[in-house]
Amino acid sequence: MPTNNRGTNRARLDLTSVLFYILLVGFGFMNIFSASTGADTEFSLSLKEVYVRQLIWMFGSFLIIILVAFSNPNFFEFSAYVIYGITTALLIAVLLVGREVSGAKSWFGFGGIGIQPSEFAKFGTALAVAKYLGTYGVKFKGWKSIGITLGLILLPMLIVLLQNDTGSALVFLSFALVLYREGLPGYFLIAAVWAVILSLATIVFSAEGWNQYWILAAIGSIGLLFILLFRKNRQAWWLIGTLALGSWILVQAAQWGYTNILQTHQRNRIEVILQLKKDDKGVGFNLIQSKTAIGAGRALGRGFLQGTQTKMGFVPEQHTDFIFCTVGEEWGVLGITFFFVVYFGLLYRLVILSERQTTRFGRVLGYSVTSILFFHIAINIGMTIGLVPIIGIPLPFVSFGGSSLWAFTLMLFTFLKLDERRLSYV
Amino acid sequence: MNNGDRKKYVFFGIFTLVALVFWTRIIFLAADPGNYQRAISNALKKITIYPSRGIIYDRKGELLVYNGPVYDLIVFPRELKGLDTLEFCALLNMGRKEFDRRLADANFIAMTRRRKDNSFNRSATFKTNLSVVEYTRIQENLYRFSGFYLEQKTDRLYSRKSAAHYLGYIGEVSGKMLRQDPYYKSGDLAGITGMESGYETFLRGKKGVRTVFQDRHSTEKGSAAGGKFDSAAFAGPDIYASIDIDLQEFGERLLEGKTGSIVAIEPSTGEILALVNKPDYQPDYLVGPNRSKRYQQLLLDPKKPLYNRAIRGIYPPGSTFKPVMALIARQEKVLNPTTLHGCAGGYFLGNLRIGCHPHGSPTNLAQSIAISCNAYYCQVFRDIIDNPVYGNVRKGWESLENHLRSFGLGSPLGIDIPGEVGGNIPNLAYLDKRHRTKNWKSGTIISMAIGQGEILLTPLQMANVAAILANRGHFFTPHSIHGIGPDLKKPDAYTQRHQVSVDSVFFQSIIDGMSAVMKPGGTAWSAAIREMGICGKTGTSQNPHGKDHSLFIGFAPKDNPKIAVAVIVENAGYGATWAAPIASLMMERFVRGKDLPTNAPVLLDRMTKPLQPVSYANQQQGD
Repeated sequence: MPTNNRGTNRARLDLTSVLFYILLVGFGFMNIFSASTGADTEFSLSLKEVYVRQLIWMFGSFLIIILVAFSNPNFFEFSAYVIYGITTALLIAVLLVGREVSGAKSWFGFGGIGIQPSEFAKFGTALAVAKYLGTYGVKFKGWKSIGITLGLILLPMLIVLLQNDTGSALVFLSFALVLYREGLPGYFLIAAVWAVILSLATIVFSAEGWNQYWILAAIGSIGLLFILLFRKNRQAWWLIGTLALGSWILVQAAQWGYTNILQTHQRNRIEVILQLKKDDKGVGFNLIQSKTAIGAGRALGRGFLQGTQTKMGFVPEQHTDFIFCTVGEEWGVLGITFFFVVYFGLLYRLVILSERQTTRFGRVLGYSVTSILFFHIAINIGMTIGLVPIIGIPLPFVSFGGSSLWAFTLMLFTFLKLDERRLSYV
Repeated sequence: MNNGDRKKYVFFGIFTLVALVFWTRIIFLAADPGNYQRAISNALKKITIYPSRGIIYDRKGELLVYNGPVYDLIVFPRELKGLDTLEFCALLNMGRKEFDRRLADANFIAMTRRRKDNSFNRSATFKTNLSVVEYTRIQENLYRFSGFYLEQKTDRLYSRKSAAHYLGYIGEVSGKMLRQDPYYKSGDLAGITGMESGYETFLRGKKGVRTVFQDRHSTEKGSAAGGKFDSAAFAGPDIYASIDIDLQEFGERLLEGKTGSIVAIEPSTGEILALVNKPDYQPDYLVGPNRSKRYQQLLLDPKKPLYNRAIRGIYPPGSTFKPVMALIARQEKVLNPTTLHGCAGGYFLGNLRIGCHPHGSPTNLAQSIAISCNAYYCQVFRDIIDNPVYGNVRKGWESLENHLRSFGLGSPLGIDIPGEVGGNIPNLAYLDKRHRTKNWKSGTIISMAIGQGEILLTPLQMANVAAILANRGHFFTPHSIHGIGPDLKKPDAYTQRHQVSVDSVFFQSIIDGMSAVMKPGGTAWSAAIREMGICGKTGTSQNPHGKDHSLFIGFAPKDNPKIAVAVIVENAGYGATWAAPIASLMMERFVRGKDLPTNAPVLLDRMTKPLQPVSYANQQQGD
């Protein structure tokens, strides 16, 4: 049994990750404080104040950390399916008795506060997938194991989709990265990226009223080019042919889905992002104000509590989904660079931690936490700077909100606790 | 697992790629100055602070014009809820039709305003300048009419009901003013006429700016940058007008019921002591809820109450011009105090006859003024322009014209009240055109010798001539300002002494004549008030509009004069009948205050009566 230099099989809780976590939550609180107070608000400790409530959520997170730190991490592995069951049941329950907030029925209301089960469902799903893939003898190969894994992921995703909370549902796509690490062939991911590109192209073409046969022609020419390149490899011919056909079917499906499945407001968001539509008043207004806020920070930022774009309400949802605008406006490119170093540093660190896990359960959980965080960060920041359609998901550890902060804290520290005990599993 | 282990680099790659793409994008956003500017213009709102307009006092410190609150009724059409229209209309004393029209207008303005500047302010003025009654009624009940608000402004208030033309009025700035002066914004109030216009740049003070934060609903959110960009508003300085309001009111009383003008000047300074026009209006008539309606009504009034005759009316000066002619003749060395000219009931030159009234003949210079001999001045006039030193009549006229212009005639004097006209002193080109030949002779234009014909003066110019006579040869541009602010500063233009082209040594003989006018045998003996050394000259000017104008210019006392006056009573007959007594009373009132001597009440009583058709026969002869 390997031991550390203290002669036990316990490593330390990874201090780098904990430090990054504290930096993010602390920096997040500063920005929430700034975004939620106007120029003329008086400081108060009333529960009505957003920053006071965030302090309470932060205190709750502290309790969660203590709880996880003194728990036996085996508990999470043993009860993974139970937790998955509970979080999924909560998802169904909220569908029945939940409160509707801006079109999505994804909240339990308890007086003034709300709990969003979908935040915890990610944790439950991560545990369940890790548990299943970590089971002795299960390999991510063959219809059965792939089917069960996908089922574990798609079930909560579908329920969240039914809640009309598209953003949270999309987060479950981040498990694709985990599955890639666990053996999903890389060309699935490439195909997925190709599919996204093709879908966007289709939308652009149909919105601009261009003939979709141009896409067919493009696919065909690219296919021919590859056939010429691999003309000696008969097998590649078949692959390329299948890919081209699949692409064509995808184009048709995307076309149909875009006009028949997506709702008007979703189409609007996509079209504004793709700059197919000039709209300075509706969807575009939010986007312009968001980009304005970030650009207004210039190199060094306008200073703490000095951001007018967010403080005066020009940026929508300024302390929740658009909290990054406050970061940009008040701390500038300098602050954002620091912020990125910490944020992406945490992601790199988590990949390293995941890789050093001694169990598959640990590694899958680690990659799940990493991928979910990454997906949130990429979508949320991408949305505020106009690279991604506006999808309402929070920025982990930074956005205001109890459910999100608690769920991410629970997720991160469960994994860190597991990492601390990794040596005991060898 | 080795294969899997290598996959972590794919993760590192994806993270790095996303971070770099985002970071680059953010650099581009931050490098675009438009973003910063948009953020600033989004959040900052400049609020103009209007200073209070300067207060106007008269020369003795009597309050004339000040500021008081007026109220506008503002409506936010979208906030209207369950309005009891019937009751609302009753409170405003407004018909249902008018209510509907005003609301529709307000609706339109509120909507277009929102569209125009993308602002969230959706208010519009429902009714401006509420009357006191409307204000109190609405104010008590405002809580019941959601969507309606009262907005306070200040307007001009008047403590005395006189001197309307002199003080002028304020109104919304015109498009022209907006273009010429960047100080103004549409809807600002500014002086339009009178002193309010002449001293606008002082009276308006200095607008202040308060920069505040605003949220996306245009609601104020506190002072921006700790007030660093704010500037205080400075109230306009108090202004001391040159008039004596008691004298002014006295003059208005004298001229009541007549058409004409009185201008009184303090000769030693050029300050206007009184500027009376009749018909006129009361200054507070153009204030308050009905300003524009009443303005239209005054504009259309056939009696022209808005017409500032004193500076815009032009009249032939008639015999009041004789002292000027005499002065010029003295300067031109063609007249001595002892020069005698005969009069045989007129002046005869070929077919030409300028009539004169019966008087002793011949007369010397002083006598010619005292009894106003026409023939004497026809001779003087010809002596001036046919003077052999000039060779021909054209040169002679040019010399006379130059003298006349040095008296401030023929062009505006430059008073600080807008709208002044220059009257007329003909030049050669004018005379050539008028007589359709270049070969006119002194006889052709002889009527100008007695202040008729082409010569036209404003009452202000006549008063200024009186001031020149009082000063023995110099004047200060007449002005309405006594002083600006506590140290009574004056624009430089009004402290400059203008010398006329006649030397002061030549004045005494003419002034002696003017003094004799008010003595037994003089034309205005009946108008004289004992013990007052008044010098004056009557005039009766023929005009194409009907009965002769009654004119008088004069000053008092004879030595060290305190006041110079010109009076014109249109179509009133002899100068001695109306203008002379009025001028006499004005001078008396100013020099002695309220203690008028014994015969003054009789005169006063006679003068304050409206103009009646008077029988020429009852009056002393001579003009």
